[in-house]
Amino acid sequence: MDFEFGEKEEKLRREIRNFVKEELPPGYFSLVAEEESSDEEWEFAMSIAKKLAKRGWLTMAWPKEYGGQGASIWEQAVYGEEVGYWGIPGTSMGVSGVGWVGPSLILFGGEEQRRKYLPLIASGEPDGVWCTAYSEPNAGSDFANIQTRAVREGDEYIINGQKTWTSAAHRARWCWLAAKTDPDAAKKHRGISLFIMDMKSPGITVRPILGYSGVHIINEEFFDNVRVPASNLVGEENKGWYLLMQSLAFERASFGVGLYGSNRRILDEIIKYAKETQCRGKPLSCNPLVRHKLADRAIEVETLKLISYQTLWKTSQGIVPVYEPSRDKAYGDLVMERLAITGTEILGAYSQVPSPSKWAKLRGCVERLYSFAPAMKILSGTDEIERCVIGQFGLGLPKSY
Amino acid sequence: MDFSFTEEQEMLRTSARDFLGKECPKTKVRELEADERGYHPQTWHKMAELGWMGLVIPSEYGGTGGQFMDLVLLLEEMGRNILPSPFFSTVALCSLPILEFGSKGQKEEFLPKVAKGEIILALALTESSATYEASEIRLRATPKGEEYILEGTKLFVNDANVANYLLVATRTGDRENPEEGITLFLVDATSRGIKVEVIPTTAPDKQCQVNFDKVTVSQQNILGEVNQGWEIVEFILQKATILKCAEIIGASQAVLEMSNSYAKERVQFGRPIGSFQAIQHKLADMLIEVDGAKYLVYEAAWKISQGRPSILEVSMAKAKACEVHQRACLDGIQIHGALGFSQDHDIGLYFRRVKAAEFALGDADFHRERIASELGL
Ligand SMILES: Cc1cc2nc3c(=O)[nH]c(=O)nc-3n(C[C@H](O)[C@H](O)[C@H](O)COP(=O)(O)OP(=O)(O)OC[C@H]3O[C@@H](n4cnc5c(N)ncnc54)[C@H](O)[C@@H]3O)c2cc1C
Repeated sequence: MDFEFGEKEEKLRREIRNFVKEELPPGYFSLVAEEESSDEEWEFAMSIAKKLAKRGWLTMAWPKEYGGQGASIWEQAVYGEEVGYWGIPGTSMGVSGVGWVGPSLILFGGEEQRRKYLPLIASGEPDGVWCTAYSEPNAGSDFANIQTRAVREGDEYIINGQKTWTSAAHRARWCWLAAKTDPDAAKKHRGISLFIMDMKSPGITVRPILGYSGVHIINEEFFDNVRVPASNLVGEENKGWYLLMQSLAFERASFGVGLYGSNRRILDEIIKYAKETQCRGKPLSCNPLVRHKLADRAIEVETLKLISYQTLWKTSQGIVPVYEPSRDKAYGDLVMERLAITGTEILGAYSQVPSPSKWAKLRGCVERLYSFAPAMKILSGTDEIERCVIGQFGLGLPKSY
Repeated sequence: MDFSFTEEQEMLRTSARDFLGKECPKTKVRELEADERGYHPQTWHKMAELGWMGLVIPSEYGGTGGQFMDLVLLLEEMGRNILPSPFFSTVALCSLPILEFGSKGQKEEFLPKVAKGEIILALALTESSATYEASEIRLRATPKGEEYILEGTKLFVNDANVANYLLVATRTGDRENPEEGITLFLVDATSRGIKVEVIPTTAPDKQCQVNFDKVTVSQQNILGEVNQGWEIVEFILQKATILKCAEIIGASQAVLEMSNSYAKERVQFGRPIGSFQAIQHKLADMLIEVDGAKYLVYEAAWKISQGRPSILEVSMAKAKACEVHQRACLDGIQIHGALGFSQDHDIGLYFRRVKAAEFALGDADFHRERIASELGL
């Protein structure tokens, strides 16, 4: 057993911290889901993405020939942790490119697809920004129930249908699309294929869906005879499901250390606030109630770190994690929700004030965390579905639905 | 023992529900979020015509002299429907203490106007710490002849942006016990030196910062006795708190109902999601908690209406209602999936108001502390 990073990783950590000092305004850290929502933040995020790309950090784990550095899993972990902690914007290039489209293409994309799309993501340019379109009005948890059709016509596929809840579709150049190619398949999931779709194609309408707090993260799309070159099919026709499950595992795993980092940061900020804020003539941090809550949150955040590391470790041993990404995601959701609640309790009435109001505390991070925590428990597989995965694949229990 | 409301009360509930459903549909709630005033004057006047503002004001002051429980269930309906209005500020936070502690002159001046819906009142109590501790009241009132000069800042004052009068808690004495030396004033909101700014909030409601820059107030405007104001705050912390609880449980009940019906409608994997235990148990837990909170609130309200000391029950009700409602909203959104996150769905309207209700009149931790004291700890 060894719970320390090596010198190489620690050196990287120092470099990233220097980068943060040089490139981000003092006291800055990006709020959850901030960058997709406002034009100004998005521009700033993309400018940082380009700088991260120049340093070779944006896609460091990828092979050199596709724009990566061949970095180790542990270097990647340190990077993810620091990104989360300092709230470095622009690191996910939309929401999908860095986290799961890239790793999926490396694992099962065609060589031509790899050569075309990976360097675009790695460049940190707007042409490397992706979104992921799985969900539809009648296909959420029941993903295989999608109705969007892709019909082969010569060397093209014609796409018709509707997608919903698509993060960053309003920013994306490319879409990682799941569509039905065989509506008569004996089992629903056997008739699904995975495509790369150019968001500039004629026939695509993107409409914003605002969150209850007014943030613009998600969208709905309508596809009206959208033409996609057959060369954009990923893997084989009708065999997309297995690739999609792998992609989803990458997606869930992509939250792990970053979520740890950002939760750790917010916890540290709240701790600082408790020490600096007086109540009845004493710092809040002297109140046993405040102390116990923060102690519990610290235990949870540390636990999240360790299980996320364990998943990475397993991967580093060449074992493909099966239920672990679901475990980490479900636990991360819980950690985030509890931290959000504790944060509001400690900031009190101020926790209702969003950034950039002059009354906001801690840059409004607690307000944003609290507003977004419920969404986190839904996106990328709901808490309930993650638990179904853990039950079935982690515990070997009978399928429950 | 009797867990039922009277027939008249049930009628009041039904008519309130009908009125609010028609007069303030969720489209209106959404519109009012962007409105500078934050309420709809026309609705306000209709409410006055229905006698809501004067519900517990005696007839000699223009009200209908109803019972406290009537007000409880009216607020429950307002919470259930989310009515954006300065009703709580005017009626619960200000008119009740005026009725209890006001001079004859003050009652005659304010209460008939409240009953007619002619004035809006707001309670300016909390300051920069945003807590309900006596020690945190620092806004100074310094005597000068027949008048007092007010100097300081109040924060998170609901509805100050539209109030005609502010009920202001000030510091007039510095004894060892911070509860001594507090005086309440009824201050004309248009007085020179008052500046009101609306604080942007999650809800979004109208919580304001109110600056008092050498504001002159006549000593006639003191509510109750000089230096004895904390007694009035304590009164508010019981009566108004339980009315806030009523609003909260009304909202929780609405969240439970909408989540339950969605669980029956929404089909995934070929069956309604309510048939999955993960969802069914969440709803069952919600039902247990909402029912429990509701009866805690009713018991405390009943005790108050009997004129019996009820700090313990009120604080239990507030601590419980805040937590139950937060959980109901979080689980309710979860049951709705991504739909629950979208602005188009009503559940987000409830969720965004959780914190405002929680911090109004003391959060769960504040009330737990009061419970502990009442338990003799
Ligand atoms: C902020 C945000 C961003 C998103 N981004 C994207 C994106 O970029 N691309 C994309 O394709 N999708 C995206 N989604 C959609 C997300 O993947 C779905 O919301 C999610 O899969 C759940 O589907 P649903 O919303 O239809 O809920 P439903 O599937 O209808 O679920 C409703 C409730 O029923 C429960 N439930 C369903 N089935 C079961 C079962 N078998 N057992 C127990 N409980 C069950 C769920 O857990 C949930 O609580 C996003 C969602 C959010 C909130």
